Amino acid sequence: MTLQNRNGDKEASPITLRLKEPTSIPIEADTVSPDHFIGRSLKDIAALPVYFGRRKRNLGDVFHIEGEESDQVIVEGDLAHVKKIGYGMTRGRIVIRGNVGQHTGACMRGGEIIVEGHVADRAGIHMEGGRLWIKGNAGHLLGAAYPGERRGVNRGVIIVEGNVGSETGAFMRRGLIVVMGDTGEFVGARMIAGSVFVFGHLGKRAGAGMKRGSIVAFGACEPLLPTYRFESVFQPVFIRVFVNRLRQWGLPVNIERTEGLFRRYSGDITALGKGEILIYDSNE
Amino acid sequence: MSAVFENVTCKFCGCLCDDIAVEVEDRRILKAKRACPNGLGMFLNYDPTLQSPLVEGKEVEWDEAVSAAADILSRADSPLIYGLSSTSSEAQRKAVELADRLGAIIDSTSSVCHFPTTLGFQMVGGAACTLGEVKARADLLIFWGCNPMEAHMRHFTRYSANAKGFLTPNGRRDRTVVVVDVRPTKTAKTADRFLQIEPGTDYEVLTSLRALIKGKDINEPVGGLPSEQIKELVQMMKTCRYGVAFFGMGLTMTAGRGYNVAEIFALGAELNQYTRFFAMPMRGHGNVAGADQVITWLSGYPAAVSFARGYPQFGPGEFTSVDVLARRETDAALIIASDPMAHFPRKAAEHLERIPAILMAPVTNCSSQVANVILPTACYGIDAPGTAYRMDNVPIRLRSVMQKVRPTDEEMLMRIMEAVKQ
Repeated sequence: MTLQNRNGDKEASPITLRLKEPTSIPIEADTVSPDHFIGRSLKDIAALPVYFGRRKRNLGDVFHIEGEESDQVIVEGDLAHVKKIGYGMTRGRIVIRGNVGQHTGACMRGGEIIVEGHVADRAGIHMEGGRLWIKGNAGHLLGAAYPGERRGVNRGVIIVEGNVGSETGAFMRRGLIVVMGDTGEFVGARMIAGSVFVFGHLGKRAGAGMKRGSIVAFGACEPLLPTYRFESVFQPVFIRVFVNRLRQWGLPVNIERTEGLFRRYSGDITALGKGEILIYDSNE
Repeated sequence: MSAVFENVTCKFCGCLCDDIAVEVEDRRILKAKRACPNGLGMFLNYDPTLQSPLVEGKEVEWDEAVSAAADILSRADSPLIYGLSSTSSEAQRKAVELADRLGAIIDSTSSVCHFPTTLGFQMVGGAACTLGEVKARADLLIFWGCNPMEAHMRHFTRYSANAKGFLTPNGRRDRTVVVVDVRPTKTAKTADRFLQIEPGTDYEVLTSLRALIKGKDINEPVGGLPSEQIKELVQMMKTCRYGVAFFGMGLTMTAGRGYNVAEIFALGAELNQYTRFFAMPMRGHGNVAGADQVITWLSGYPAAVSFARGYPQFGPGEFTSVDVLARRETDAALIIASDPMAHFPRKAAEHLERIPAILMAPVTNCSSQVANVILPTACYGIDAPGTAYRMDNVPIRLRSVMQKVRPTDEEMLMRIMEAVKQ
């Protein structure tokens, strides 16, 4: 397996990690990140710490590791209980083959994570840069903030091709979240700024307590909170700019919808009230 | 010869009534004067005689039971310590120490009850008062999604609606009671105003109240209530002398959860521009507030704490017991003074059945049927003294009314800790 390098057609042989035994004991694998692998031999990588429940183990005890020094990482196996993959990563790429556990890409600052299955809660939480691309569904608190924190995601892009749970983009400060499927409740709750695009069904209580920022609903939408006010119908130019970039990345975005008219609601009047929810209206 | 103990504390619910007169004869409680039916049941049904611990259903010596428990916990990769709400704060402290030593996940019954209150509190903070102030001063009482007439039976007479205090000498006549709920309850029947909202619209109604208080206008009906009714409630809240909004699981365990609570805390805080106003959770079990207190001052977080990495990590939805069990992420459980088998969802209860479990409780309950080790301990407030926190976070002494023959939770936890160290 070879992956394309970021800066062109140069090919690098990736480091592949395969979970040795499926387990439901939570594994905290925040060392699985290109930042920790660069400059280390396979032997050194295998000696990195990982937490199997409450037991400190070596990465090599839990995963089969092969490949050569690279900032490209592939993780395979039943990873539903493996947490914190790509935690705080700044460079390189991780491809996750299958479903993966909580905190995937939490606090990441650069590079890219591609998940070819579903992710559990808290993916991309407190992200500060880079790109997290989820081909399946995501759990709750996608791109949100840890409890008690005032600011969540600050830069970066999260793309989910499936559905997401509740509180997507809560407390977001900057950045972009794109959801191709449906969302749960409280999308962009207490958001400070940033953009959330929803192409499926936008759930209840979107933008609850939002200060600034944009939530764009291209599909159907639950009735908005009573603290949102209808402002106008218009054709936002910035959506076209965003969508062009999404199409460049290869996302199957329906161009017709993005060029239509949107109803703009502003709120949340209990907070600053400078946020907006744009709802697709018609193509005329 | 019977003896009467005055001013005994009942630890059944978060009210922690400390005016019960308990009559004891021959190590059996005959009467518990002034106790409500809930408290009465706890006092009269408890059998304080020494019972042997059970390991796999067989009666064994205490030493053997302790080493069996320590063995289960030591062997586990991801042990869970759950419960704590009906034990004393002294025992809770030992439980946190044990969790720290083991690297276990520790969680209280709060996680299926008022945990969203904590999350809401962390989001916006809150203004707090004590029940003594409520009794002396409050002239507007709002009960939101709670039913004290059936769950906290003496709340009205001791602290709120009917209590006579310093500035409320006429009791009920000096106070206005508003109940907000999705159905008419016993509490709603006693209220001056009952606002029946549509299920799952608490957030919408609360956020509308906040908008109105901030001077914004809401003209459409919200949650099935006409806007006039909401505006009237706002007027009542702004013009009262001292208002308190009590809230229960109608807010914390319905759609919106922590966000509902954040709204009610923010509402209480914002109303202080006009008058004195507070929001208070109606905590369920006797010392569940104490569990939050103790775990917080020892670990920094109130519940759902994992010590797996040697330092505390907080994880609502990650280390909360129901989620940990439903995802099968634990392989041994120590249950202290609670009954998860009776209260947890099926998926979580099924995993609890599969894994080795230790139950430490004064009474037999549903969880006794699945526990591999059962340690029948003393009941704090009856045959052991201790400390418990009332729902307003005021610590109250639990007295003992008889000599204990059973070991306490605290002693048991210390012995398990010693055995684990070896």
